Amino acid sequence: MTAALVELQEVKKIYWLGEVEVPALQGVDLRVESSDFLALMGPSGSGKSTLLHILGLLDRPTAGKVLWEGLDVTRLNGGKLAELRGRRIGFVFQMFNLVPNLTALENVELPLVFLGVPARERRNRAEEALRRLGLGDRLRHRPNQLSGGQQQRVALARALVTDPALLIADEPTGNLDSTTGREILVLFFELNKQGRTIVLATHDPEAAEVARVRLRLRDGRITERL
Amino acid sequence: MLFDLFRLSLRNIRHRGLRSWLTVIGILIGTAAVVALISIGQGLQRSIATQVERIVGYNTILVTSRGLNLGQRIRLDIEAIRAIPGVRNAIALRTETAYVEGPGGKGFLTVFGYDPAMEEFVAEMDLTLSAGRALQNPGEVLLGSRTARILGADVGSTVSIEGRKFTVVGVLQAQRAQGFAGGGMPLVDVLVISLSELRELFPGPELVQYAVVRLADQADVAAVREAIRAHLAAVGERNATLTDFEDLTRNIQSVIRGVQAFLAGIAGIALLVGGVGVMNTMYTAVLERTREIGILKAVGAKDVHVLLLFLFESGLMGLAGGALGLLIGFGVAWVATAIVSRVFQAQSAFSPVLSLALVVGALFFSFLVGAVAGLFPAYRAARLPPVEALRYE
Repeated sequence: MTAALVELQEVKKIYWLGEVEVPALQGVDLRVESSDFLALMGPSGSGKSTLLHILGLLDRPTAGKVLWEGLDVTRLNGGKLAELRGRRIGFVFQMFNLVPNLTALENVELPLVFLGVPARERRNRAEEALRRLGLGDRLRHRPNQLSGGQQQRVALARALVTDPALLIADEPTGNLDSTTGREILVLFFELNKQGRTIVLATHDPEAAEVARVRLRLRDGRITERL
Repeated sequence: MLFDLFRLSLRNIRHRGLRSWLTVIGILIGTAAVVALISIGQGLQRSIATQVERIVGYNTILVTSRGLNLGQRIRLDIEAIRAIPGVRNAIALRTETAYVEGPGGKGFLTVFGYDPAMEEFVAEMDLTLSAGRALQNPGEVLLGSRTARILGADVGSTVSIEGRKFTVVGVLQAQRAQGFAGGGMPLVDVLVISLSELRELFPGPELVQYAVVRLADQADVAAVREAIRAHLAAVGERNATLTDFEDLTRNIQSVIRGVQAFLAGIAGIALLVGGVGVMNTMYTAVLERTREIGILKAVGAKDVHVLLLFLFESGLMGLAGGALGLLIGFGVAWVATAIVSRVFQAQSAFSPVLSLALVVGALFFSFLVGAVAGLFPAYRAARLPPVEALRYE
């Protein structure tokens, strides 16, 4: 069996709230293959976000293994993880998480800055990414001058500008009205059709319909696979 | 990439607007104080060097009582010193207190013995005349401007000093003391008679306030000093000391440097306080931008990138404060010296000196204070785990 893009083996995550142990993930096994589109479903507190953070190398598991293309990344240092994140992973968050001081274009350029891409190429790629998402006329706008849907598309452009192997979306429609949310979901659908691997977390069953595979989480375990 | 981080830092500083300015002002005040004090001090040093040179002269040795105590008199024979090889001219200042009677008043006054060798020191010794002429013959006296009033005498009057009659031939101009040879005080209440007549009036051992020895151009200073010392030892004077231009300059400069270092140290405290201000601002910035730090890390920023971002910010604020402080400090120094010169009517204009070392030092040091102050906040920002930073509300 060839190595999956990402594979979680017996992943556990425990948070400590003072003296109290809060188990967020209690042994999760998951394979994400190239061109997959997974939706993680479940109520808040079910461990969706924690799972996404571990998949996206933003967080380390308390126990278990995380294999990226067969490589155990749980032992990598912070710098190596940051580089992997920058090169291979794109994030879209519920809160958009754009840097308020920067224009749309500069926000999209940001991942390329940390990869050391020269300024001219950076600019071209960022413009291209924004144009593809229909924001060609919003390059110089700051986040607070953009609507929620526009902000989320800027965030999506930022996630895609590095051509990542994995796109991770945490409740990407959670702060959008249903029409705008649907537009964003259609974008995800299109991206996956073009071969992009996506893992998306949502508590909205309708939103989850866009994915090829739906995983239900409850109390830190995957309980159902649809 | 460094340049991009730098630009981002600049953007963040500008974004904070007023708060950045307040932080910068903290550094500015400290730097301005240090720069002002040092540039004034350097100006003072330069001015004193030229003053000392003008008053004492390069080729001059002063013979005084130890500790420059002018009230303490010393024993020496000025003719013997004048005979030392390498000595071009030497004068000794001898004054005595005498009972004086004039046409309109009387009293105990200081009588100053004038030696023809003093000719070249007349300007320095404040012996310029406002009326009459210089001493030429025995039995003649010059009066200080106040003495003339006390005694009710003028050119042509007769005054008696210790019972001996003298004819007033000139009155000294009342001016401010300049040279060391003038005893550091204006000669306004003295009588000047020839040294030989002063010796006749006050026989006995010759005690002088001090002596000024001027050297020939190619004289061996060390040899002359040695000869003077030998003479002092021969006449039994143990309480005298020799000072030349270099000694004097060195002493004065070292005092100024000491005072300057002390003041600059105090001003440096202001700079430190400014650094604490930077630290405070940066800690606040790290808190406020915790989420942003999480975003940066999520899109691939390494710890070192975040560290540099915040260090640039604090360093830049330090540098900005330093640059403005430099300008303002020099401006303050300039105005302050102008005022001081005016108030004390300093004879030689003295202006602050802004040396290259001071400019570079001030900029470098203010940057350093900013960067060091930002070090802990930046380190804290860099070490934030990305998930926690992203979750921060």
